[in-house]
Amino acid sequence: MSEIPLPQTAKRVVPWWLLRHETMLAVILLLALIVLGGLNSRFLTLDNLLNQGRLTTEVGLIALPMTFIIITGGIDLSVGSIVGLCAILLGYSWKNFGFPLPLAICFSLLVGAAAGLLNGIVITRVKVPPLIMTIATLALYRGLAEGISQARSVRGYPEWFYFIGQENLFGVPAQLWLLLIAIVVSAIVLDRTTFGRTLYAIGNNETAARFSGLPVDRVKLIIYTLSGLMAGLSACVLVSRVTTTRSDMGIGYELDVIAAVVLGGTSIFGGVGTIWGTVVGLAMIQLLKNGLALTGVKGDATIVVIGAVLILSTLVASSLQRRRDGV
Amino acid sequence: MTTDAHSETPGTPLLSVRSIEKSFPGVRALSGVSFDAARGEVHALLGENGAGKSTLIKIVSGVFPPDRGEVLVDGKPVDLARPDDARRAGIATIYQELLLFPELTVAENIFMGHAPRAGLGRIDWRAMHEKTNALLASLEIHDLQADRVVGSLSVGNRQRVEILRALSQDARILIMDEPTAALTEYDVTRLFDIVRKLKARGVAVIYISHRLDEIFAIADRVTVLRDGAHVATKRVADTDAAELVQLMVGRRIESLFPKITVPIGKPVLEVKDLERRPLTRSVSLTVRAGEIVGLAGLVGSGRSELAQTIFGVTPADSGEIRIAGRKVDIRSPAQARSLGLAYVPEDRGTQGLVRPMSVRENFSLAALGKVAFGGFIDRGAERKLADDGVKRFAVKTSSLEQIAGKLSGGNQQKIVLGKWLANEPKLLILDEPTRGIDVGAKAEIHRLMGELAAQGLAILMISSELPEVLGMSDRVLVMREGRIVAEFSREEATQETIGAAMMGSHDNAEKAA
Amino acid sequence: MTTLTLAGTEADPRRRLKVLASQEALLAIAVIGLAIAVGLYNPRFLAARNLSDVLLGNAYIAVAAVGMSMVIVSGNIDISVGALIGVLATISGTLAVNGAPIVVAWLAALVAGVLVMALQGAIIAYLRIPAIVVTLGMLSILKGGLISVTGGKWITDLPDSFHLADIELFGVLPFPVFLMILVTILAALWMRYSASGRAIYAVGGNAEAARLCGISQPRTIVMVFALHGFFAGAAALLYATQLRVIQSTVPPNLELTIITASVVGGVSILGGVGTVIGSTLAAVLIAEIASALVFIDVSPYWIRAVQGVLILVTVIADILRRRRMAGA
Repeated sequence: MSEIPLPQTAKRVVPWWLLRHETMLAVILLLALIVLGGLNSRFLTLDNLLNQGRLTTEVGLIALPMTFIIITGGIDLSVGSIVGLCAILLGYSWKNFGFPLPLAICFSLLVGAAAGLLNGIVITRVKVPPLIMTIATLALYRGLAEGISQARSVRGYPEWFYFIGQENLFGVPAQLWLLLIAIVVSAIVLDRTTFGRTLYAIGNNETAARFSGLPVDRVKLIIYTLSGLMAGLSACVLVSRVTTTRSDMGIGYELDVIAAVVLGGTSIFGGVGTIWGTVVGLAMIQLLKNGLALTGVKGDATIVVIGAVLILSTLVASSLQRRRDGV
Repeated sequence: MTTDAHSETPGTPLLSVRSIEKSFPGVRALSGVSFDAARGEVHALLGENGAGKSTLIKIVSGVFPPDRGEVLVDGKPVDLARPDDARRAGIATIYQELLLFPELTVAENIFMGHAPRAGLGRIDWRAMHEKTNALLASLEIHDLQADRVVGSLSVGNRQRVEILRALSQDARILIMDEPTAALTEYDVTRLFDIVRKLKARGVAVIYISHRLDEIFAIADRVTVLRDGAHVATKRVADTDAAELVQLMVGRRIESLFPKITVPIGKPVLEVKDLERRPLTRSVSLTVRAGEIVGLAGLVGSGRSELAQTIFGVTPADSGEIRIAGRKVDIRSPAQARSLGLAYVPEDRGTQGLVRPMSVRENFSLAALGKVAFGGFIDRGAERKLADDGVKRFAVKTSSLEQIAGKLSGGNQQKIVLGKWLANEPKLLILDEPTRGIDVGAKAEIHRLMGELAAQGLAILMISSELPEVLGMSDRVLVMREGRIVAEFSREEATQETIGAAMMGSHDNAEKAA
Repeated sequence: MTTLTLAGTEADPRRRLKVLASQEALLAIAVIGLAIAVGLYNPRFLAARNLSDVLLGNAYIAVAAVGMSMVIVSGNIDISVGALIGVLATISGTLAVNGAPIVVAWLAALVAGVLVMALQGAIIAYLRIPAIVVTLGMLSILKGGLISVTGGKWITDLPDSFHLADIELFGVLPFPVFLMILVTILAALWMRYSASGRAIYAVGGNAEAARLCGISQPRTIVMVFALHGFFAGAAALLYATQLRVIQSTVPPNLELTIITASVVGGVSILGGVGTVIGSTLAAVLIAEIASALVFIDVSPYWIRAVQGVLILVTVIADILRRRRMAGA
């Protein structure tokens, strides 16, 4: 009961920022780059790295709102299916409704946001746990994509549409600019705004956040909607890059996205995480895929690595957290 | 089901608890508590929240071990390392939050873990139902069927299922933690019938309650705990309610309450006929600028529920709230905050503080609008806000970046209080503002309350400590069963008058206007 | 605090019967009703050949859904089972093609299934990592592992004796259907009449209360996952032996169909409630719907959307039902 002067944050020899998850991850990333570069001369070239950036954009765009969601202690498994649904609706509305392509793009973004909003509404109003709700819509949205497309793909988009997916702007893949902007905006929102602070507060103690007058339900609604919207954007970029729409687009994205976020140090239990961590996590996963591919490992084997990385990084993070809380 | 089979030395109490001590990091929960219970005795444990009752029963039911002291059953020491050990020793506990399986039937809930078996180890459902019916019949319960799903039962009936479960394990010592907290009056009567039947069978019942009338109705003896210590054990026949209240809440005045007399201003909060069933019933009250209104009442009388209804956590069903004379309809804490209300909740750890966040982040949590421009947090302004708070409240912390959950209880409470004051509220609702914190921090919070009132803040203070209520309040309201039943001016209020109103002996309590 | 207004909320027995009596009865009615309705529209749907094809081709889903139901009743989830079934089918087929005794090939699928799932159960129960993370990771390990090891090559030239699914008991009852019924009945009896079976409900319904009843939560969860692995193995055998080839890839979205069957079958996604009879009936219903779509001239590509709606509606209804039961 007595007021003991508390032991202050231990005098560490190592500066605090070096022990941060993101820093350690960045060091590992650097080492991986050097090793992979040593193994294959094609790896550490600007062209290759930029191309990898192009390939990671679609997952990256979704990983940003997913970071928000996981920080609040939620999850969204339906993102891959939203990508599929939005891709299909982009092609379908352009071809079958005769929408002009810009309108079709807006329409598919809108559908993405609506799909996310539905998740958010049921999660906040009916109080269905996010995991369950998004498993259900994972099936539903993919089913709608399959039903609408009837396994027909749409091709032959106007040339200008391929710019975002295939061209360069100032020597950098066009969609990478989009990702960079999204990263900067998300990082600022998370780090500097009341909105971001609310996310952490919800993840750490939802009741206290509510009792402090923070708009918990509204914030949740926004992040799930944002997740759907970004999945829609990701779909547009993807269609532009691969020049076709199919209903199986985005299958398994949830794995890559969640793996990147969790690998980046965001706790699956909520309350902890940064955009920078997610960015490093994304880079790790993409370069791992690419590096393994260049050294002759088949593409499918890389998802084995991602799966293992997901489980292991959660294990490490949760044991670290348990040790911290055990103090 | 009879307990006669067990050997017993005459004169030895069935359950005997000797000099139990227990500490948790930073808190001394129990310091040398002893009591005993004979066969067929109902022994009540009485004490306010935090007095150590629940720690004590958790030790007796094997949830965690004591640091020192021992538990004897039939005069023999028993080692209660796990809940299972307690069960084997014949001790069964019925917790307040009933531990049942809502999706399973009555019979299954009773026999979970020790179901009757038939050949091949399979569960013998028929025997299970028969045994359940026998149990039901033995307690003359006729309106409960063995195959009902427990989730569809009323709280009273669920509780009876728990009692039956205890009996099915041949429990000789039954611990009931606040068994009537959620019961209707009718269910309470039925519960008492059962307790009397158990008594007649020789079961020792440890009965924990805040409700004095129940203790007089059912218990033989009562042990009062306060601040983890044994205060007194009395035969119920030899005591009265006033004495028990005195023992339970009348601690010595351990610090001076620096009540400053300040001019009372205009009404800040006016509540009229506020309804939110079940625990807010037609409540009317007024709190004026510069005034500290104490809200007394036993635990479960609806004080926190009233506070949360005013603050929009559980919005009112009907009634009227006026803030500074303007009629408002508060639907959420966010709205309450913007109207100038602040609420320091009862449970610091789960409702007040975001423990893993830093001191700085906690300080600015309720006042983000003050340090943000267009949604962007101004780090400098935020630091200044937190720094001012730390200085003003004398929070002992190594830095603003210290994790708030690692500070002592008193410092945590200062942060929770401070985060609201950063918002410059008009009305401050304090729910048990000094519970579980040490004397120094307590005095400091009391000093702050006085200062705040002097600055014209209206304060509604819920407290279970009568000296605190008496020392700090300009006016005292007393709640019971969701209603405000009495109002006293500072001059009229004494431990006796308030205590009587809390318990419901109307003789010397003045009815609220 | 909201549980206080309970005077008079005692559900009357008739309403209780209606709400709880049985998802199973409802499903059975749906299965039969749908058959009749579609049969009226297109009598060919009721041809014995078609109905038996529906059952034969989907029995493995019902078998896997039995294990999934146990997992969900225990309060967990598994999304790796579809990939696991693909892997187990390939293991079994590869052994059979390479001359291993057929029984060994069959047993290998069962044993491997139990091992993989028990491992996942142990990680979830003892290391306390959420089931979704573990099984999502395992999904990708199994999926990637399968394709990179087999290179996506199909397994052909399977020995005739390998084809469990071809066996007809008493000359009429195809083995997959027999197994589906047998597994469902045995699992239903076990879950009702054994202490360990009831422990699953206890752990999923109220873990804290289960602990106080002396039931070990981690051990129960590992057991549930091990059993789930066994049923996945059995499902893989049916899947592998019903065609002449094994595709060596993961059947797409199989785990979703299996989860849908469990949930629609009345297994509450929050744990603690449900029976495997319901899940088997739901698996049959889903297969029937898929087939019916063809016969009423609706594209079969809508099947997953129908599944999605089914699961969404059941989940929301379940949450609302629980809330009402809690007496809010």
